[in-house]
Amino acid sequence: MGIEVRGLTKVFEGGRRRARRSVEAVRDISFTVEPGERVAYIGPNGAGKSTSIKILTGILHPTRGEARVLGVVPWEERRRLAGRIGTLFGQRSQLWLELTPRQSFRMLAAIYGLDRARERTRVGELAELLDAGDLFDTPVRSLSLGQRMRCELAACMVHEPEVLFLDEPTIGLDLLAKQRFRELLVRLNAERRTTIFLTSHDVADIEHVARRVIVINHGSVIYDDEVQAMRRSLLATKVVEVGLGHPAEPIAMCGVAVVEHSATAMKLVVDTAPPRSVPSSTPCSKVRRRSTSRWWTRRSSR
Amino acid sequence: MIATWFLVTLRTEARRVTAERGGLVVAVVFYVVVVAVLAGLWRVAAATNGGTIAGYSAVALTWYIATSEAAVVALNIRMIDDIGRAIGSGAVAVELLRPVPVLALRVAAELGRSLPRLAACVGTGVVVATVSGGAPPRPATLALAGPSLVLAVACNIVAQHAFAAIAFWIRDAGSAWFLYQKLVFIIGGMLIPLEALPGWLHALANALPFRAMAYAPARLASGHFEPRLLVEQAAWLGVLLVAAGAVFRAGERRLQVVGG
Repeated sequence: MGIEVRGLTKVFEGGRRRARRSVEAVRDISFTVEPGERVAYIGPNGAGKSTSIKILTGILHPTRGEARVLGVVPWEERRRLAGRIGTLFGQRSQLWLELTPRQSFRMLAAIYGLDRARERTRVGELAELLDAGDLFDTPVRSLSLGQRMRCELAACMVHEPEVLFLDEPTIGLDLLAKQRFRELLVRLNAERRTTIFLTSHDVADIEHVARRVIVINHGSVIYDDEVQAMRRSLLATKVVEVGLGHPAEPIAMCGVAVVEHSATAMKLVVDTAPPRSVPSSTPCSKVRRRSTSRWWTRRSSR
Repeated sequence: MIATWFLVTLRTEARRVTAERGGLVVAVVFYVVVVAVLAGLWRVAAATNGGTIAGYSAVALTWYIATSEAAVVALNIRMIDDIGRAIGSGAVAVELLRPVPVLALRVAAELGRSLPRLAACVGTGVVVATVSGGAPPRPATLALAGPSLVLAVACNIVAQHAFAAIAFWIRDAGSAWFLYQKLVFIIGGMLIPLEALPGWLHALANALPFRAMAYAPARLASGHFEPRLLVEQAAWLGVLLVAAGAVFRAGERRLQVVGG
């Protein structure tokens, strides 16, 4: 088993004496992740994603419940588990800013107990896999964010982890860098069977990287299904804003609803789900339309 | 046996500081100015006091200040603040995800950063003290002052971590840094030989670890052959490691329960 979570709850206690208050950051969460799975663990800010990851990596103790990552209880054997997992926090660097990535890898390899020969081989493999060999000898502080994130990914892969925890890894990256990063994750998973557990606010991260999505809100799991299923049922529409060179009539097309219209712009909601088993001759008015919704507020049917 | 990761971390950080010559030059210039001013003041004070102060001659005081300042200037002066910020901001979480003790890794890195600065200050200090004060009062004791300086720096780094760990509870180690700095300056013997302090303060200073961080190497370099000071420093280093380890473990437990 990759990750096994049963009834996990984390309550933070704050304040003093009479002003004492408790916040339930994670509430009775249960799920399992098989080895080699690519799972997106998502939800709005404050939903409990980062707290869950901190518990699963052993940084935090849960208030109640059980969890095993690679058969290890994380908060009981944090250091032992650390040698088998990789973590990447998009907002926290694990590279030493004043060093080059190669020097950081040397230190990380020593920390994880890799000998010199294994370290050289591993860094060579990562340079090839991430197409980042030319970046490894530039001081980290001189790298662009996109370049640094590729090196961050290499840093958390130096010791060949079996599970990779990624907390908003594409935050701040431009579109191209994001796309490249997603492709790298998929490649890593395909070539190394590395389990990927990803949190992100970017729907494209979820669609491109994950096969399964777990949605949490207010500390509880509210959706757990394949990404394809989520896309069909909950992400069926896209909002498109069109700039107009000159005033035009509202677009009248099957699957397109005009929600705002002015002389210079038009805002459309486009149904991206194919109207399956609907004959081409069927009038547009008879095709069932799905509405845009705040998908994270829906409850899973599981 | 010292773990490979400890040595690799120490060596990598030392190489980095050595490569950044600008930072080293600034540290050495600062050190020379401080030593020139303080040693000059002490020489004047000794001259007006019949040639000695608390048993130290003007030459001995010059070598005392050159050594005590080297032991302190070699360190990252904002270390407590830096450690406190790493804890308070939650950045320490990344360090908790490594399979080695956070404290040991931090000490290795800080020791690696400090040793090149220490070497540069000591090299310069020997020249400055010889030119401004005269030849060392007893050259043989300088051989003991070398390892004593390394122990002083190690004690200081570990003690700063123990102080900075207060940030696990109060989120701001700035006040701890201010207090700590003053303790090293006065009862650590950085500015004043402990023998020159009032009796009660001298007794208090003798009972605390701060004297291992500046006074011990400075006392040796000023011509006093007292090898027991090295033993005392090693013992304090052990005590400080145990204390800092306990405070960090307690802090990590608090982080695990209360959150970052």
